[in-house]
Amino acid sequence: MRLLIVEDNAELARLVAAGLSAAGYESDIVGSAAEAREAVSSVSYAAMILDLGLPDGDGLSVLRELRRQMEPLPVLVLTARGGLQDRVSGLRSGADDYLAKPFAMEELVARLEAILRRPGQLLGRSLRLANLVYDTESRQIFVDDQPRIISARETSVLEILLRRQGRVVPKKNVEDHIFGLEGEVASNAVEVYVSRLRKQLAEHGAKVVIHTIRGVGYLMAEEK
Amino acid sequence: MSAARSSARPTFKSLIWRIVFLHIVAVAVVAIFLPLVLFWLLNSEVDQLHRDAMRAQAEVLAERIVPQPDGTLTFNLPDSLKGLYSEAYGRYLYDIRDADGRVLFSSRRRSGDAAPPRLSETISGAGVSRVIEGRTVRIRVAEDLAHRDVIIDDIISNFFRRVGWITIPILLVLLATDIIIFRRAVAPLWKASEEASNIGPARTHIRLPTEQIPREIMPLVTAVNQALDRLEDGFRVQRQFTADAAHQLRTPLAILRTRIETLHDGAAREALHADIEGMSRIVTQLLEIAELDTLVLDPGEIADLRAVCTEVVGSIAPYALAQHKDIALRGTDAPVLIHGNAEMLQRAIFNLAENAIKFTAKDTSVDVEVGEDGSVRVRDCGPGIAEGERDLIFQRFWRRDRQRSDGAGLGLSIVRGVADDHAATVAVENLEGGGAEFTLRFRLAEETHSSPSPGGGG
Repeated sequence: MRLLIVEDNAELARLVAAGLSAAGYESDIVGSAAEAREAVSSVSYAAMILDLGLPDGDGLSVLRELRRQMEPLPVLVLTARGGLQDRVSGLRSGADDYLAKPFAMEELVARLEAILRRPGQLLGRSLRLANLVYDTESRQIFVDDQPRIISARETSVLEILLRRQGRVVPKKNVEDHIFGLEGEVASNAVEVYVSRLRKQLAEHGAKVVIHTIRGVGYLMAEEK
Repeated sequence: MSAARSSARPTFKSLIWRIVFLHIVAVAVVAIFLPLVLFWLLNSEVDQLHRDAMRAQAEVLAERIVPQPDGTLTFNLPDSLKGLYSEAYGRYLYDIRDADGRVLFSSRRRSGDAAPPRLSETISGAGVSRVIEGRTVRIRVAEDLAHRDVIIDDIISNFFRRVGWITIPILLVLLATDIIIFRRAVAPLWKASEEASNIGPARTHIRLPTEQIPREIMPLVTAVNQALDRLEDGFRVQRQFTADAAHQLRTPLAILRTRIETLHDGAAREALHADIEGMSRIVTQLLEIAELDTLVLDPGEIADLRAVCTEVVGSIAPYALAQHKDIALRGTDAPVLIHGNAEMLQRAIFNLAENAIKFTAKDTSVDVEVGEDGSVRVRDCGPGIAEGERDLIFQRFWRRDRQRSDGAGLGLSIVRGVADDHAATVAVENLEGGGAEFTLRFRLAEETHSSPSPGGGG
């Protein structure tokens, strides 16, 4: 699985490539919009890390071109700016996620994996956190590589929390994910499933924790 | 001495009062002199009329001088005038003399003597000369003013009492009219100064209106506007510099941070990491301040306060959890629509929440509560804020504990900046059980407004 890093600062590009390499991803580095276009057309990358400030043009224009060509390549935008306008225009131009400099390598990898985990992407098949693995196709759960049984609705909750591990998943999203368009849902239904999931995960010895962010949603993280 | 002199002189700060004062002085002077002048004019006009009447009389008399074939002249006073010139009436006199001054005819029967009618203060008259048959004749008619026509006397003597006073109300009306005219004339200046009072570092684009400004004052307004152009330019350059500097710092910070992550010494790495984290936050806040300073809020923009708070609590929760602290969103579940820019509101509430998480004790929770009245309360379980510091904390770069290295003291100044831009209030007080509560109050948008567009597009 190869990634493309489009970053004009050679030192930063090298460090990011090294960081990704440590996380198990090989990457190519280009320093301009023109090179990026060329690279994308000749190699099939798993994802692109795109800096917005390039010497020969705006990174967003590269992104827009890709999307106009119906190129589904996942793109994580990096920028030295952090303002709302940049974020909105970045996401509207078709970026899958957005990270402002300076960023933690850990977060870059997490975001990248979140993109890759999306259905249809390379990592979409298996989600992993600590000693917990979830296979999205077989809907099978493994703790310490041992298959475990968790009830269907709780598994749905687990999937959405795992896809966005380390970030808060709004309660509404969890609800939609479990029940879809199924009419009436008891107001405490999500709480009930989350608390059952917690219990079952604990019983199976998974080293993960589900935090409740009251009034907002849930966050799944590694147990520390 | 000079102070005494200047205090003796009335000084008016208001242009209107200065003009009113000078006007009153002018009106007083005119009110005194105008009747006198009018009186004098009236008198001289009456005299003139009188002389003209006398001259006309003399001409009428001259018509009655008829030369006889024997070379003498005869004079027949018409019957209609006989009474007028009778000595009994005593009011009008005439005498007709030849070139040598000899009296030919006179209204005085016994005036054979050479004494001409005495022309004194009480007698006024006029004369004409005629040449009849080669002889020059001088006809003079006079009136004894001691017996003057009562009507004219009345007009003159009652002039002040009957007519003179009218000048004073006229002048007062004039004064009032002038004040109104003047006020209207300076109205554009009032408007201009109102506009000028709105100009601040965040609103340097305002210029004084040039429409309706009197031509005399135009150079001043133009000069002020040009000065504002230069100031705005200065502000713009300074803001641009802050923004550029913050941008430029981000890439080297990213390099530094990524490089630190490749270090193997765990403890050193973590410490350096925390330093970079703090520095990055300051850079972000500097950018936020630069953006805040240039922000022009769309008055029609509406945001859902509840959605903004949900977003903030969601995004800051990992930070709280990492410090073994909790954060919760409380209050209403329904959307709370207020006037404002969602991104700016998010920054303000994020900074409040970040501040609260920083100061709340370990294993305690920060509460963010949204009220239906457009308020947001952020409560922590920290040490609270001393009475004397409640204004200071909102100043840029203020930190209670200078020894602490986390943060530059920009967060709450951003909160204040956003509140000011939104005509919102921010208050802080200590809770009874310990801890501080920050309250932001925004203006609710009317119910009739269309639904908000979070993130736009959609």
